[in-house]
Amino acid sequence: MRRREFLKYGSAMAAFATVSTSLPAILSAQTSEDAPTGEKADFDLEIVDVDVELIDGSVVPMYAFAPTGKTASIPGPILRVTQGDTVRIDIRNSSTRPHGFQIVGQSNAVVSGLAPADGDGEDKTRIEFVATKPGTYFYVDGDNSPINRVLGLYGALIVEPKNGYADGAAKKKPMPYAPGAATPAMKSLFTALGEATIDGKPARFPGKPWQKEREYVWIFNQIDPVMCRRIGGGELVTPAEFESQFHPRYFTINGLCGLDSAHDKATCPTGRAGEPALIRCMNAGLATHSPHIHGNHVFVLTESNKNGLPVYQTSLNEHDVWTMPPMMIKDVLLPFTTPPDVPPAPWRMVQEKYPLRYPMHCHNEISQTSAGGSYPMGLVTDWHIDGPVATS
Amino acid sequence: MTTIYRPISDPLEYDTFGCHPFENDPATPDRTTRQVFLRRQVADWNVDMKDGSQLQFWGFKDPDVSGSDSPWPSKLIRVKQGQVFHCEFKPTKGAHTIHWHGIEPTPMNDGVGHTSFEVKSSYVYQWCAHQAGTYLYHCHKNTVLHFEMGMYGVLIVDPLTKNPDTKNPNYLYDPVAGDVPSAITPGAPYSAESILVFDDVDPVWHKLDHNAGMCGDDVGLDKFNPTYFLINGVHNGRTQTDTRTVTRMTAGRHLLLRVANASYSRLHITLPFNCYIVEVDGRPLRTNRPKGWFSAPEYKAAGSKLEVGVAQRYAIWAPEVPRGDHQIIGNFHHWITNKRHFDGTAIAKIVAL
Ligand SMILES: [Cu+2]
Ligand SMILES: [Cu+2]
Repeated sequence: MRRREFLKYGSAMAAFATVSTSLPAILSAQTSEDAPTGEKADFDLEIVDVDVELIDGSVVPMYAFAPTGKTASIPGPILRVTQGDTVRIDIRNSSTRPHGFQIVGQSNAVVSGLAPADGDGEDKTRIEFVATKPGTYFYVDGDNSPINRVLGLYGALIVEPKNGYADGAAKKKPMPYAPGAATPAMKSLFTALGEATIDGKPARFPGKPWQKEREYVWIFNQIDPVMCRRIGGGELVTPAEFESQFHPRYFTINGLCGLDSAHDKATCPTGRAGEPALIRCMNAGLATHSPHIHGNHVFVLTESNKNGLPVYQTSLNEHDVWTMPPMMIKDVLLPFTTPPDVPPAPWRMVQEKYPLRYPMHCHNEISQTSAGGSYPMGLVTDWHIDGPVATS
Repeated sequence: MTTIYRPISDPLEYDTFGCHPFENDPATPDRTTRQVFLRRQVADWNVDMKDGSQLQFWGFKDPDVSGSDSPWPSKLIRVKQGQVFHCEFKPTKGAHTIHWHGIEPTPMNDGVGHTSFEVKSSYVYQWCAHQAGTYLYHCHKNTVLHFEMGMYGVLIVDPLTKNPDTKNPNYLYDPVAGDVPSAITPGAPYSAESILVFDDVDPVWHKLDHNAGMCGDDVGLDKFNPTYFLINGVHNGRTQTDTRTVTRMTAGRHLLLRVANASYSRLHITLPFNCYIVEVDGRPLRTNRPKGWFSAPEYKAAGSKLEVGVAQRYAIWAPEVPRGDHQIIGNFHHWITNKRHFDGTAIAKIVAL
């Protein structure tokens, strides 16, 4: 029985409902523990065939990355390294099909045509490169493009700066970029965060400076179950055929549809006013998305070029909608300011419900569907302001 | 084979989140004294398409204006920066909402069903615009369908100040002390304004019920195949002659062009004159340390292209527009293939005499 039929015919399911920690949450926690602090960053990844359960209970065959011997997930685990690290990634193809691996935007970081492993555990391929420019990068299976990627083989590599402060020697204003390469506008913004006044006048960002932990990754994708089943069933579909016939019916953030992404701690930004958050926004799919956030505008800090390298912006435009074509990566800053169009009144407002909940959804509303209907089960999540301005 | 499970977290919430959003008619929380009051209701009407067919659209009507209450897009709203705004909304035809797109009030006044409530029969929305710029308002119930059905209008927040230059008396935003000089005259003063909202229409969707698809039924809301392309509700066969899409101005003065994309396509605009992008999404591009802006106007030479994302707004400032006819060309491209739709071009005009 389909999940939505369960719902129509009663609440028997409620008894079985359990709190589930999402895979992205678990995996990002694991990788931050494993994060290298020295000069080498070693990762061990496996490519596997998976069955993926969708929000309505239907199941489609896809591919996934897994840290070797651990749980597979879509997207794959977040790989976090520090600028200057020598990054080594060992790949094993445990899928039944040939695959590849690539860090987009890094040289010497491509392998392709990996045959299925024969199971002796020895057949790994290594790529090695030095991480240079801080920012957000895609890792994908670049083979058979875009099929293998859209069917689940994508994830984020994050390069953190060795010494990322916007205010030089004072080191009170952390910034996720190296000060030598960041633009004046980027440094100026991260320096302004947490300042109640500037030049003796009330400023926009009272509260705290940005903190390294205040970071979220949003990877968008689309799922066409017909294509998944055709390819999973062994049919040979060419990339040209895939692109021309691609008809997505599920739209995901971090592999999750709306209700699940709104509950996922790693996806739903939370905090008090004055606690700015960095959102690393990526689109692994084929559709162009128009993410729209309520409650605050975001500052677009970086935009990836066609080679997948972050371009640091000289003008930090504020958007409530930003465009995300396929393979685009944008780091944006969600300032967590008190929503600016609340009429002058004592904060917190007496009758308003707390926390203040706002949605972020793609405004190309076709992506708000799953399986042909059902807003908002699609590309949507929430963010929360838990309370008044936090002071440092 | 490994299975990635997605166990349902709470079936009851699954149901209310998408299928049965909370409906209510609460009192406006933290209500305060207003400077602006207007009313909106829900109405439907027919619009002529290019091939002579008529399609039903839905929108917001103003019950205080008789006879002129059914334009599509819905009636322009203009308020001044700093004003406390109240809109009494009485939806009829089922629950609806008004989301003030780009305005950032409290969640109850944000008009989103799943984070607050849908208006059952009456609610007074309240907010106070802190920044002059270009915004939209639209229904946020079953948004996939209701936005396509035309339930939107343009919302403009004007600054308080008038420019002493009587030839270009209006400002886009208040110039204030501390603005770092840039290529443009601070405040982007203008004498003529062109407001262009681009939209695309799939006629199949215009036969659906208000609640179509909300409970997960497959009504095809993941299939959008537009065949009509319009600006300000005018089909693309008429946009170069209709008064709603042709702006007449005095040559040599400044023009402010406000562009919004209400379609579900990638909208690529070609700009006919040398100009500057001076505002995006209700935020002027300027640098002012205490005010905390970190951006600058962007120069666009005549012939430049600009992509306007779905639901984005851009304000474009063209100083001293030369005498002549100037075409603002909008090309609608498919959101997945990025190929231009068949007949997917709509052209508005600026006539400088
Ligand atoms: Cu509506
Ligand atoms: Cu909107």
